[in-house]
Amino acid sequence: MKRIAAAALAVAVALGLPLVLDDSALAVYVLLGLAAIVTVGVSLLMGFAGQVSLGQGAFYGVGAYTAALLALNGFPPLLGLVAAPLMAAVFAVLIGMPLLRLRGHHLAFATLAVQLILLSLAGQLEFTGGDIGLQGIPQFGIGSWEMDSAAAYAWLTWAALGLVMLVTHHVIASRPGRALRALATSETAAASSGIPVGRYKLVVFALSAAFAGLAGGIYCFYTGYVAPGSFPVLISIQYIVMAVVGGLGTVWGALAGASAITLLVQGLDRLAALPGMPTYAPSVLSYAVYALVLIGVVLFLPQGLVPALTRRDRPGRRGRAS
Amino acid sequence: MSAFLTYLLNGLAVGCAIALIASGLVAIHRVTGVVNFAQGTFAVVAGLCTSSLLGLGVPHGVSEAAAVLLAGVAGLLTGLAAIGRPGTTPLSSLIITLGVGVLAYAVEIVLWGDQPRSAPGLAGSVTIAGARIQTQHLLVIAVTAATFVLLALFFGRTYLGKALTACASNPYAARVVGIDTRRMGLLAFALGGLLGGLAGVLITPLRPISFDTDVTLIVNAFAAAVFGALTRPVVALGGALLLGVAETMAAGYGYGSHQLEVALGLMLVVMIVQASRRSAIHEEAV
Repeated sequence: MKRIAAAALAVAVALGLPLVLDDSALAVYVLLGLAAIVTVGVSLLMGFAGQVSLGQGAFYGVGAYTAALLALNGFPPLLGLVAAPLMAAVFAVLIGMPLLRLRGHHLAFATLAVQLILLSLAGQLEFTGGDIGLQGIPQFGIGSWEMDSAAAYAWLTWAALGLVMLVTHHVIASRPGRALRALATSETAAASSGIPVGRYKLVVFALSAAFAGLAGGIYCFYTGYVAPGSFPVLISIQYIVMAVVGGLGTVWGALAGASAITLLVQGLDRLAALPGMPTYAPSVLSYAVYALVLIGVVLFLPQGLVPALTRRDRPGRRGRAS
Repeated sequence: MSAFLTYLLNGLAVGCAIALIASGLVAIHRVTGVVNFAQGTFAVVAGLCTSSLLGLGVPHGVSEAAAVLLAGVAGLLTGLAAIGRPGTTPLSSLIITLGVGVLAYAVEIVLWGDQPRSAPGLAGSVTIAGARIQTQHLLVIAVTAATFVLLALFFGRTYLGKALTACASNPYAARVVGIDTRRMGLLAFALGGLLGGLAGVLITPLRPISFDTDVTLIVNAFAAAVFGALTRPVVALGGALLLGVAETMAAGYGYGSHQLEVALGLMLVVMIVQASRRSAIHEEAV
């Protein structure tokens, strides 16, 4: 009962915030929501399937480009937004079938390679607009109604986040969720208990890609342009930092991690913009924060913020490597 | 024909630099089981450091040696972060080295700015069978060959090298006979730092280095190292030479814009083929 009340309060706060925030704060709020959507997927993949993806930014990009291309070619934006996660998931299934035979650091490098290849292709192909990317993407809307306020995008983003968290919650609580937890500890043991290891891993991979694709779709309508430079390798690392900080395999941890990192980086950006700071201060501070937080949490708080704060420690649940 | 020979030798030089980074990756992975994502960073640190020292008027030789030593220290520090705390799993260690790489970005931008930097190397060129080769390329090949011979002697003939090999083949048995596996792991990290630094010092005169060059370097080195399943340095050397030649040929004959895709695609295929030959039981038992 207490947990339902807490969740209801969180929903109320999330939906109420756009009414009181000013424009620059709303931009942060939208980006935070988008990062949280991707991080929920990363957390699910790392915490439950025990797999590291260093290429989550690739799926984010696939979603963004899919929605952008559809919208620019005259299809309704809603179709673009629906197609974005589907396309990302289909892409994940296609590359996942060969790649998910790999595990541990092999998979991490393979996913990184996929992102680098995609970025390089997007920068060269004509229909993706090359390095300049795609511009003039119309506003999101349904029928004749057009979404033009930042607050509306905030609601859309956080509604999508709510949906993603709800889906993840049900996946975790279900029988497949327990199976995933089992295969994260030992694939051999899981397989001998009758868990279809390969299929489950592929489904989680596709699900996490779909989340990233959905966030990418919203992102392209919100900013109005996409380019290869919007999806650097660092963005994939950033999602890992957020997932690890919040606590792997927890739905709320992803949100907490995304909030903590986004707000921290924003605060430092303000600091770096103060007069007298060198021009490189913003990037240096954000790199340093990502790095120190990541190292500190992995070493001293391996379960992440949320499990450490709520004291529901499940011993021995640290990522098992290959 | 002479163009072909030029591309071949240039490619071998590029491959040698990749091989040095890859051998550091292999040395660390063999001993600790950790894939060091910050391996490319060592090369970048050493490269940037040489360019600064040479700019300050420090003579050749001294600045290169100092840069390589600095990279070795960076390797040791990375090792302390990655495996210094008992009970860190290899995958957690990978994530820590990822963090170290990003932290190095911050340090590098503060010290050297975010623009690519170069350093003067060996000037001049020689003509072999009608092909003009920069002397620096030959130097890279010679130094790499010497380094691999020294590494082979170190691992095969010295007590310390044998202790490292013992940790690589069976950490438990190594502990039983009194080898401090953690110290050996740190030593491997320092060695990895030196090897990465050597590569950085050698390639900075050939192509400008900036703080984010490390992603290209580490991905190429990892691609080379997977040829030898991350454990066999000589196979990694072969893989690195193949990659270097393939990339340089692709660039030389006009497919330059696709050389990254070629290297990465090759790496993915090799990994998938290797994975299909290995069973999960074997991997989880290691």
